Amino acid sequence: MRGVWFTSALFASLAVIFILGYLLITALPVFFEVGLTGFLFGTDWNPTGTNPSYGIGALIVGTLLVTAGAMLFSVPLGLLSAVFLAYVAPKKLRDAVKPAIELLAGIPSVVYGFFGMLVLCSFLQKVFDVPSGFSWAAASILLGIMALPTIVSISEDALSAVPKDFREASLGLGATRFQTISRVLLPAAASGISAAVVLGMGRALGETMAVMMVAGNSAVIPSPLWDVLSPIRTLTATLGIELAEVSAGSMHYYALFGIAVVLLAITLAVNLASRFVTRRIETGKQLFTLPTLPELPVRIPPRVTEKIAFACIYLGTFAVLAILAVILGNIFINGIPAISWEFLTESPKDLGRAGGIFPAIVGTVELVFGAILIALPIGAGAAVYLHEYAKASHITAGIRTGIDLLSGTPSVVFGVFGFAFFVIFLGWGICLLAGMICLALMILPTIIKTTEEALKSVPDSLREASLGLGATKTQTIFRAVLPAAASGIITGAVLSLGRAAGETAPIMFTAVVFSKRFITPDLFEPVMALPFHLYVLTTSVPNTEPQQYATAVVLICMVAAIYVTAAILRRKFQRNLA
Amino acid sequence: MTTIIEAKHVNLFYGQKQVLFDVTFPFEENAVTALIGPSGCGKSTLLRCMNRMNDLVPNCRVEGELLFKGKSIRNEDPVSLRKQIGMVFQRPNPFPKSIYENIAYGPKVHGIKNKNTLDDIVEECLKKAVLYDEVKDRLHDSALGLSGGQQQRLCIARSLAVNPEVILMDEPCSALDPIATAKIENLIADLKKEYTVLIVTHSMQQAARVSDVTGFLYMGKLIEYGETPQIFSSPQDELTEKYITGRFG
Repeated sequence: MRGVWFTSALFASLAVIFILGYLLITALPVFFEVGLTGFLFGTDWNPTGTNPSYGIGALIVGTLLVTAGAMLFSVPLGLLSAVFLAYVAPKKLRDAVKPAIELLAGIPSVVYGFFGMLVLCSFLQKVFDVPSGFSWAAASILLGIMALPTIVSISEDALSAVPKDFREASLGLGATRFQTISRVLLPAAASGISAAVVLGMGRALGETMAVMMVAGNSAVIPSPLWDVLSPIRTLTATLGIELAEVSAGSMHYYALFGIAVVLLAITLAVNLASRFVTRRIETGKQLFTLPTLPELPVRIPPRVTEKIAFACIYLGTFAVLAILAVILGNIFINGIPAISWEFLTESPKDLGRAGGIFPAIVGTVELVFGAILIALPIGAGAAVYLHEYAKASHITAGIRTGIDLLSGTPSVVFGVFGFAFFVIFLGWGICLLAGMICLALMILPTIIKTTEEALKSVPDSLREASLGLGATKTQTIFRAVLPAAASGIITGAVLSLGRAAGETAPIMFTAVVFSKRFITPDLFEPVMALPFHLYVLTTSVPNTEPQQYATAVVLICMVAAIYVTAAILRRKFQRNLA
Repeated sequence: MTTIIEAKHVNLFYGQKQVLFDVTFPFEENAVTALIGPSGCGKSTLLRCMNRMNDLVPNCRVEGELLFKGKSIRNEDPVSLRKQIGMVFQRPNPFPKSIYENIAYGPKVHGIKNKNTLDDIVEECLKKAVLYDEVKDRLHDSALGLSGGQQQRLCIARSLAVNPEVILMDEPCSALDPIATAKIENLIADLKKEYTVLIVTHSMQQAARVSDVTGFLYMGKLIEYGETPQIFSSPQDELTEKYITGRFG
């Protein structure tokens, strides 16, 4: 039995190595053709011209600029709200606001893209009086909003975990509340906060759908470099836009795989950097000394600083909540009137301008349940091995690194891999099964992590009791440990369902089509899916605004229902333990 | 002897629950006053009223008057009040910073920036807290590497650095071993020359050893207070006698 657990644990690492290797091998021709330097630093991306060129320098710069902009937008706002929630808000308010902000994380990225196209871009266009709002600024703001919940939620956890003692000690010395926050509490939570920022950054770096819908996608480096209203194109967006139209085996095709490899390398670098930073902070080493601010001629009284700081904290939190309200309000106010019984139960007609979205709902359900059926046994098995059997060794460390890498992989990379391997190499064509496997790979790390948490919460005394009665280790795991951890494992699985339901990038090249007349539950047939339907309607079918809004509402409600189920399960789980 | 802090008919509530009942107590300047009593009698709560740390507790309500140097602390700004009335907590709670930074923290938040001044304050306070010789070679190491007793003396030094007039100590030795406790007790005796010390302790021996005045609280009421030798040798109240002879608590 141990072998079975071990194999499932190994699977995650092998999958990473295989994906990486496969992408790398497929990309090799482009490296030979244009050379590594030419590929990375060439600034001319024109793969379809008569004289094609394959330099992705502008795309790399675009990715970095968009991510930097997103961080500039979200880190200050996120930190202010986290401070508000952890130290300023009364407990009741905090308990209401925190889930609301976390809800932002559950909104599928394609819905953000949709909102960005319809509302944000036209807003920017009007405010700055430019020909088009599709720009670096739009992409950065949108990605910033998407990174906010991660940053707020994890920073708040870190701030709340700072011992109350520190706070009392500082206040007891006559420091103001803001001095206490800025000089003691924030530094004490630094490692958690930097983890939050890096996770938020990872989300922004790897995002595909929202970016490609609002960035304008010209492969140029903004000139001047700070021209935030210039259109811009990221690595992920290039994959999203071009992979569907490229002919397999062309140099352009290989170049796209080169892009996927570079994208993976960047996310890997960010992960490594974050580990390094977190470790340095945890061991208490000074990373950098902040430059001492120049002495002001007059000392601003601490009370005044405190007033200003608290005003910022309130404003920041208010801004975050206002953003949430605007997004949800806009979508629901416009979407609900467009929903009808027919819309939910009929097939689309006239390119989605009439009829409904029933096949897309069915397709999404099939995809996510298929994904969970594949990922849950493997993920749970891996977690059992890691928690119940594994001792600290090189193999275990390797497996854990593999899982970390998999969880940091941008979702579009799974799509690219699935397209090349299942659709083309294995000759399955675009089909349900390929989409299920891609989604399963994407949610596998989450399932492993949540299952391991659930196993950790099972007290050792339970294992000892079972072993003490003469049960074998396998019997103990199946009859004592797994049942006790079941609700935790299921909660994790349900959360993954929610994530899979909203994803577009992994399935758009592997499993979905825009229109399908008949619902055939066949693993080797393509399906429709809600996020993809919304994407195509928004970007390619004019005069479908009511249908777009309605689809967005249905998608959000579906994901929200899944999260609410998970929350109920978790609460039940906690009550059972208490 | 002059009175520096005075409690007048103080009633304190946590939500609906009353924790202190009509406590009236004058605290003398440049003396050590000990508050004793069984767990949950309200002695720590009373102490935390003095520098308004109870403000941090939601639903906490105080009635009656607390006077600091004749002025009601209710109208005082809690931040400047806490600068004048320092506090040492039950568990040593150094910041996760260096020894130096822990002590320099208070002066810095109160606007001292000059490096030499800060150096002097750090050295002086560490000497007052009888810690200097033990740590002078590693001032820039993390304070978390010190032993529990050293950490608590660091916390005392830290509270001295903002130059308070009164130091509140909330069971400062309850997490320490006997040797570390003895060091802190010696330190308290030194401190009263310059400062007023109010100490909450669950150890009667400690109260007898370190204090000049002792107050006995029971179920939120101040049962008795007076000169320490008198309280321990001839208590007026039957409850006090029972407690100090170890028949309950």
